[in-house]
Amino acid sequence: MSVPTYPSGTVRALLATEHVSEATRAVLESRLNAPAAYEPQLLAPETFALLEAVAARIFPQPDRPENPIALAPAVDQRLAEGRADGWRYDALPPDREAMRLGLGGIDEIAQELFQAEFMALSAEQQDAALQALADGNPPGAAWETLDAGRFFEELLAELAENYYAHPLAQEEIGYVGMADLPAWTKIGLNERDEREPGE
Amino acid sequence: MPDEEILEEGVLSPVEPEIQDPLLRALMADEPAPAAAPVATPLEQPQAVPAEADEVDCLVIGLGAGGAPLLARLAMAGLKVMALEAGPWHNPTTDFATDEKAQDFLFWNDERLAAGADPLAMGKNNSGTGVGGSTLHYTAYTPRPLPDDLHVRRDFGQGEDWPVSYEELEPYYNEVERFIGVSGPTPYPWGPARSQGYPMAPLPLNSAAQLMVRGAEKMGIKTSPAANAALSARYYQDGVGWREACTNRGFCQAGCSNGAKSSMDVTYIPLAVKHGAVIQPNSFVTEIERDERGRVTGVVYTHNGEQKRQRCRNLFLCGGSVETPRLLLLNELGLSSGQVGRNLMAHPGLQVWGTFADEVRPNKGIPGGLISQDTHRPAGADFVGGYLLQSIGVMPVTFAGQVARGRKYWGQQLRDYMKNFNHIAGINILGDCLPHADNFLELAEEKDGRGLPKPRLHFTAQENEQRMNAHAEKIMRGIWEAAGATDIWSFQRYAHVIGTARMGLSGDDAVVDANGRVFDVPNLYISDNSTFPSALSVNPALTIMALSLRTADKFLESQQRRDG
Repeated sequence: MSVPTYPSGTVRALLATEHVSEATRAVLESRLNAPAAYEPQLLAPETFALLEAVAARIFPQPDRPENPIALAPAVDQRLAEGRADGWRYDALPPDREAMRLGLGGIDEIAQELFQAEFMALSAEQQDAALQALADGNPPGAAWETLDAGRFFEELLAELAENYYAHPLAQEEIGYVGMADLPAWTKIGLNERDEREPGE
Repeated sequence: MPDEEILEEGVLSPVEPEIQDPLLRALMADEPAPAAAPVATPLEQPQAVPAEADEVDCLVIGLGAGGAPLLARLAMAGLKVMALEAGPWHNPTTDFATDEKAQDFLFWNDERLAAGADPLAMGKNNSGTGVGGSTLHYTAYTPRPLPDDLHVRRDFGQGEDWPVSYEELEPYYNEVERFIGVSGPTPYPWGPARSQGYPMAPLPLNSAAQLMVRGAEKMGIKTSPAANAALSARYYQDGVGWREACTNRGFCQAGCSNGAKSSMDVTYIPLAVKHGAVIQPNSFVTEIERDERGRVTGVVYTHNGEQKRQRCRNLFLCGGSVETPRLLLLNELGLSSGQVGRNLMAHPGLQVWGTFADEVRPNKGIPGGLISQDTHRPAGADFVGGYLLQSIGVMPVTFAGQVARGRKYWGQQLRDYMKNFNHIAGINILGDCLPHADNFLELAEEKDGRGLPKPRLHFTAQENEQRMNAHAEKIMRGIWEAAGATDIWSFQRYAHVIGTARMGLSGDDAVVDANGRVFDVPNLYISDNSTFPSALSVNPALTIMALSLRTADKFLESQQRRDG
C-alpha cells in the first residue's frame, strides 16, 4: 500500500471557516504564526542549539528547508516554566536535570564514536549517535547514571507530540479533526464528510 | 501569610510543610513561581463562599465520579454541603478547544513518580483535575461489571471479594445510567437479564468498530455496540434540563464542548448546585484536622495561594486513588489496617493497531464504539479473571506519542508511518488485575511545588496480568488479521489506578467498610476508586458513581438512625 499524501493548504483554508470553533482557531493560529526566532528561556544558548540539532534528526524536515516546524522551543519553554505532564519515570532525575545530563551525554556519544561534538557531525553520523542512544546502551560516562532508554523515549515522545500538534503536521497526515463543527456525519468505513481532504 | 494562629486548641495536625505560602517558598527555594491557572475560569465563583467559621454538615474533597453524585444526593437530602475541588471550573464552549495540547489542563499534571517494572503513565492516562474531575476527559465507556467480577476470590481462590453484591449495586447502576444518559444496547448481550434497559439507543458505529465487527465475525466472537455515557439523542435530565446529542467529534479523551458527554460538570454537579451545594474550585486540601477523640473537625486548604480552613461535621474524600491515600498518609489518618497505599491495581489495557486498505479516519465518532465480553471468562484460560475487548479510535498527538514509545520509530520512519493515520484502527482490552505486595503507593522524599512529598507508584505486572496480556494479544491480532489489517503491532499499557484504600468487612485488612466509612475515623468517608477491593474487568467510572450514591444513602440512613 502506498503512503497517502494530502493536498496542502487544507488546514489554513478550514481555519477560516465556521467549521472551526473560536477556541480551536485561537490555539492553532498561535502555533501556525509562532515567530521563527526564539530566545531560549532555560537552556544555555549552546545547549539549546544542541537540542535543536537533535530535534532536526529525530524529525528531519527536508520538505520544509526554509521553515521547519520548530520543536525545541516548546521543550525549553516547558522546562523554564517547570511544567510537568503528571508523571516521571522514577529511574530518571527531575526533567531539567535529565535534559542537561542527556544532552551532555549525546555529545559524549558523538565524541566516543566520531571524536567530535554532535553538531560537527554529518547527518549520517548524527543518526548513528542517536541510534546508539535509542538502542539503550550508548558509550559515555553520562549514561552510567542516566537511563539511556528512558531518556530517549521521553525526548522522542515529547518531540513527536509537539510535532503532530502543529496544524501543518496534521495536514500532512490528512487529519482535519479540528474542523468538527457542526458535526461529523460520515463516520463509517470509506466515508468522508465533504470538508475532509481526499488522498 | 494567613494567620499563624490558625490551629486551634485541641486540633492535632501532623502536617507542617516547611513554608506554607507557595510564592514565598518558591522565592526561598529559587524555583519558578507556580504557574497561574492555564485558562480563564469565568464560572469560578458563582456562589458566596461561607465564612471560615461556618461549619458544614458534609464536606466533599474532589468533584469527579466519586464526589459529584454523592454531593448531589446529600444536598437533595437538605444537608448543608460544600465541595472543594483542586482544579478550576471550566466553561466547555470557550475552554474546550478541539486540540489535544490545548486540553492538557484537564489532567492532573503535578508530578507522580512511576516505579516498578511496568511504570504507570499518569497525567492524561488516568487522572484529572477541575470541576468534574477525570470525567472531563474520560472516554465515557461505561459497561457494568458482570456479577462474578465482585467475587473473584470465591471463584478462583485469589484476589479479593467485594463486601457489596451486584444485586445491591444494580438499582444504583439503573439510576446512574438513567440520570446521566448512557447510550447502549437493550437487551445487553452478556450477563444476567437486567431490570432496566439503557435509556437511549447506542451511538453509531465508527470505522474502527465496523472493522472489529468484520474481524470478530470471522473469528466467531460475538460483539455489540458498547454502552457509552454520551447522548445518542437529545435528552432531558431532571433538575438539569435538555442536553444536546453527540456530534461525533471523537474528542472524548478531552473536554466535550457541547455537553453530550455525560461528565459530572453537566450532570450531578448542576443538580447538586440546584439543591444548594456550594462549590469552591481551585482549592487544594493539605491538612485534615481532628479533635482529641480522633474525629475530623475540618480541613486546611490553599485557595489561589491563600490558606483557608473549612470546618465540617463529616468529611468525604473523593480525590481518586492517588490523592486520597496521599492525604491519609500525610495526615496519618486511617492507617491502622496497614492497607493505605497497598493493593495498588491497574487494568491491563493492551492495544493492538493495524493498517487497513480502507479509509478509517480514526478521529471521528465515539472512540470505544464496540464491545465484546466473550473473553470475560475465556474457556481454558491460564489466568484468573478475564477482560473485555473494545474497538478504539484515536487522535493524532496521542497516537504519535504511543508510536514513539511503543514502536520506537524516529526520523523519516516515524513520519512515513504517521502518514497512514487515516488508515489505522485499534482494538484494546480492559482486564482485571490482582493485588500484589510489590504494587503500592508511598510518599517519596522528593517534594512537589507545594512542599509536600510526591507520591511514588510501584507497579509490576505479575504472572496473571502477563498471561492475560498474552492471551488477549493473540485474540486481537487474530481479529485484526481477519479484518484485513497489515503492519499489526501491540502497545502494552495499564490504565486506571485502583485499590489504594480498600473496602472490606474488617478494619484488620481494609481501610473502609462496605458503606465507605473509614474504620478508624467515625466521620470520615471515602468515595472513589481507591476503595475497590478488586479491579473489575470493566472501566471503573460507572461503578464509582454507583458506589458514590450508595455511600450517600448509607450515610443518610445512619444519620436518621442517630437523630431518630
